[in-house]
Amino acid sequence: MPATASGGARPEEAAEAPSASTSASVCMGTRPEELAARLAAAGPAAGAGAGCVGAGAGGAEVEHERVRALREIKNQIIGNRTKKLLYLRLGAVPAVVAALASPVSSPAALVQAAAAAGSFACGVDDGARAVLDAGAVGHLTRLLAHPDEKVVDASARALRMIYQSRLAPKFDVNIGKNMDFVLSLLNSENENVTELAATIISHSCESSAEQLSLCSAGVPQKLISLFGGSMNLRDACLDSITAIIRNNRETASRFASMDHGKVFRSVVGLIHDRSPRTRLLTCLCLIALGHASPCHFQDKQIKTKLIMVLLELIEEPGQVGDEAPLALTTLIKDSLELQKQALMTNAVEKLSSHLLANPLETRRAVTILLALSELCSKLEESRSQLMSVEVSTLILEALKHDWADIRVAACSCLKNISRSPKVLSGGRLSCDTVIAPLVQLLCDSSTSVQVAALGAICNIAVNLTPWKTVLLHSGAVSQLVHLSKSMDPTLRLKSVWALRNIMFLLSPKDKDFVVKELTLSTLSSLICDSEHFVQEQTLALVHNLVDGYLESANYVIGEDGMVIDAISRQLNNASAPGVCIQGMFVLANIAAGNELSKEAVMRVILPHRTDCVKPTFVVKFLQSKDKQLRVATLWCLLNLIYPKCDASSGRVVRLQNSGVIPQVKNMINDPCLDCKLRVRMVLEHCVDNADDCFM
Amino acid sequence: MFLSRIVRHDLDSIDSLSSMASSKKVVTREEWERKLRDVKIRKEDMNRLVMNFLVTEGFVDAAEKFRVESGTQPEIDLATITERMEVKRAVQSGNVQEAIEKINDLNPTILDTNPQLYFHLQQQKLIELIRAGKISEALEFAQEELAPRGEENQTFLEEIEKTVALLVFEDVKNCPYGELLDVSQRLKTASEVNAAILTSQSHEKDPKLPSLLKMLLWTQNQLDEKAAYPRINDFTTAALEDPSI
Repeated sequence: MPATASGGARPEEAAEAPSASTSASVCMGTRPEELAARLAAAGPAAGAGAGCVGAGAGGAEVEHERVRALREIKNQIIGNRTKKLLYLRLGAVPAVVAALASPVSSPAALVQAAAAAGSFACGVDDGARAVLDAGAVGHLTRLLAHPDEKVVDASARALRMIYQSRLAPKFDVNIGKNMDFVLSLLNSENENVTELAATIISHSCESSAEQLSLCSAGVPQKLISLFGGSMNLRDACLDSITAIIRNNRETASRFASMDHGKVFRSVVGLIHDRSPRTRLLTCLCLIALGHASPCHFQDKQIKTKLIMVLLELIEEPGQVGDEAPLALTTLIKDSLELQKQALMTNAVEKLSSHLLANPLETRRAVTILLALSELCSKLEESRSQLMSVEVSTLILEALKHDWADIRVAACSCLKNISRSPKVLSGGRLSCDTVIAPLVQLLCDSSTSVQVAALGAICNIAVNLTPWKTVLLHSGAVSQLVHLSKSMDPTLRLKSVWALRNIMFLLSPKDKDFVVKELTLSTLSSLICDSEHFVQEQTLALVHNLVDGYLESANYVIGEDGMVIDAISRQLNNASAPGVCIQGMFVLANIAAGNELSKEAVMRVILPHRTDCVKPTFVVKFLQSKDKQLRVATLWCLLNLIYPKCDASSGRVVRLQNSGVIPQVKNMINDPCLDCKLRVRMVLEHCVDNADDCFM
Repeated sequence: MFLSRIVRHDLDSIDSLSSMASSKKVVTREEWERKLRDVKIRKEDMNRLVMNFLVTEGFVDAAEKFRVESGTQPEIDLATITERMEVKRAVQSGNVQEAIEKINDLNPTILDTNPQLYFHLQQQKLIELIRAGKISEALEFAQEELAPRGEENQTFLEEIEKTVALLVFEDVKNCPYGELLDVSQRLKTASEVNAAILTSQSHEKDPKLPSLLKMLLWTQNQLDEKAAYPRINDFTTAALEDPSI
């Protein structure tokens, strides 16, 4: 704050100095406030002076002063966030960009101004925004054609810094002459300029239309031909190639078969390059290729090599080592085969030992935890390997860490470890030590931490005693109920999901406890939530509630029928298939109960209406393409007409008259075996019940 | 059953190892030299290795002479070596601000993309202020320039604390963190600067020759277990020494 206060006063003081006009050098202050004022004063004066006498002594001196002020500012801000923010407040950016815009600026001034503009855009979002708002991109682009090579270098570097900011506008190659511009940059003799072209492509290329256009214009071949240049240029080119093939089967397969696979092989060759950064970028490129076009990437040897190279790269200092675990995560994601492969190359052991060797508050710890989490997503052996004493302690420590990213990563790890009840119960983690911090994270200030903690609790809740019991008595239920009323749909989804899993195979007494915490009115409103995935989870929760606990049907059909009305509304409105399936399972479970329950279900599926024109939704569900929905509906019908008794016979007649049974008869040859079996059972029961009637 | 087989197998291999150790293969000097003569190494490759060393280490005059005499083209413009060496010299003589400005003139993206290097230069600047006894200036610099870096990074904070601790002691040279005032600290920073500039110029930051020598050493150690042969013990002369049997 004091800096701002003095900043407010100083520029006025300093602004008086240049009023002694030509002797601008009198004012030599190098404090930020003075410098900003010096620059502002030198700016317009130079423009006016040069207007009348190009090389006038006064003009030259003012220009000299301007170069000095620009250089001084540049040297203060490079690498220094605090100074960048300070100069931003002092309004230095427009003055710097004005120097780039001025037609009379000397090459020396242009070089300094370009460097300063590039630095303002680096690492500070507000700086990037100010540089963009001042129109620096246009001026710097124009300066790429400047006759002085130093100006070209400086402008290309500055533009590269700007295009590395996420705030920089996308450069759509399909608009106007943009493609010609990118191609002209790529064809430049100046490596700074070609590297700029690669940076622009990496930053901007997102849509498949752009990827295709770049491919058709021969850009990948051009980028490959630049591999012969400097190491930094080659890295930038690799990154652009990745951008062109990412998630695009067409461009990826064109790239893979380009020049009879020669191009592809030249990328594969770089996997053993001496530069660690190049190795990482090569891995990322090949991973993108494999994901976009799996058929061009079936060579198991290359995949194994990728895993090994990435595990080695984790030992590299800096960004490369930080990002390597993330690349590994992307590579093995959802692939059982590659996860096995990674386990065989001792991935869990290597990652764990790096994790233990690094302090927790580093990006590396976060990315390593995420990679370990992925490794534990499918393989039991990875999970048990990971659960050494040291790592378990570290994960617990990470749960309580100040840094949100590390808390998220630790939760993600726990989530995947707890997919295995065996590791969880036999492992080093005792439920008391894990659950308390996890439940605490439900009130975290960061939503992403809450979501991650919910993920872990969801999986832990599936486990039976002692985990479930501890969870129930940890205060988790009331927290989950609280989160189920959140504004954030993801939080609602995950909290209801966790409650659903807690409800799974719970004792009647504990089920009553959960319902009491949740209340029937919250339950009804969650069934009618605005998001269908929340509706689906809520109905699954009700499904688990009534499963194996017949008395609990009273929660659904009793209390003015609040819950069953909500279910009825969703089924009649023909919501998403998942919602209908869960809804029908709930009805099927209730229909397994006493007469009262069966009749309540009948009222939902065959409401008394004045007009009987509209067919019941049950017929529609039986005609659905979704076999699960058909099975759920058939189960419900089966429970309604079972066991053989008068009431059941009456229901058969009503179902017959409303067109439900005739629809079931149509399904005698249902392609799904499960459906076919249930259809037969329903029809047999109909016959049994009918026999009763006529006897 | 399976287990016992493995154990037996292991015993076998240990047996064969010990029997080998007692009868190491002996290679005579003549035989060794004849084999060495059969290995053809291109003169140009040797020259490039030397040039790589001179360029990376920054021996610009030697590199220039070597270029003229051997006709080997250096991997980068020799002028950039001069600039790099000026920066290195500035750090070595304690003129950190001058070094920072020169780096920014060379390539303004280096310090913006290497926060650690920037921090070490700032730290070096503080060390130089303390060395020069400019206590109030040092305190002001630590507060205004270094403290914000410590807020961004825990490791930096610890290093700042160590450096500022120098101010507490009367006899700084002998205080716990006195090594920060050593010439070696300047050299460390200087070599970090050198590496960053080389990387920005797409040049490898370490010369190839030392790693080749390390490889030679490793290979000889491996070979010692299997054979007696004329070893190179003195790397400065590379003289072969007769095998000791």
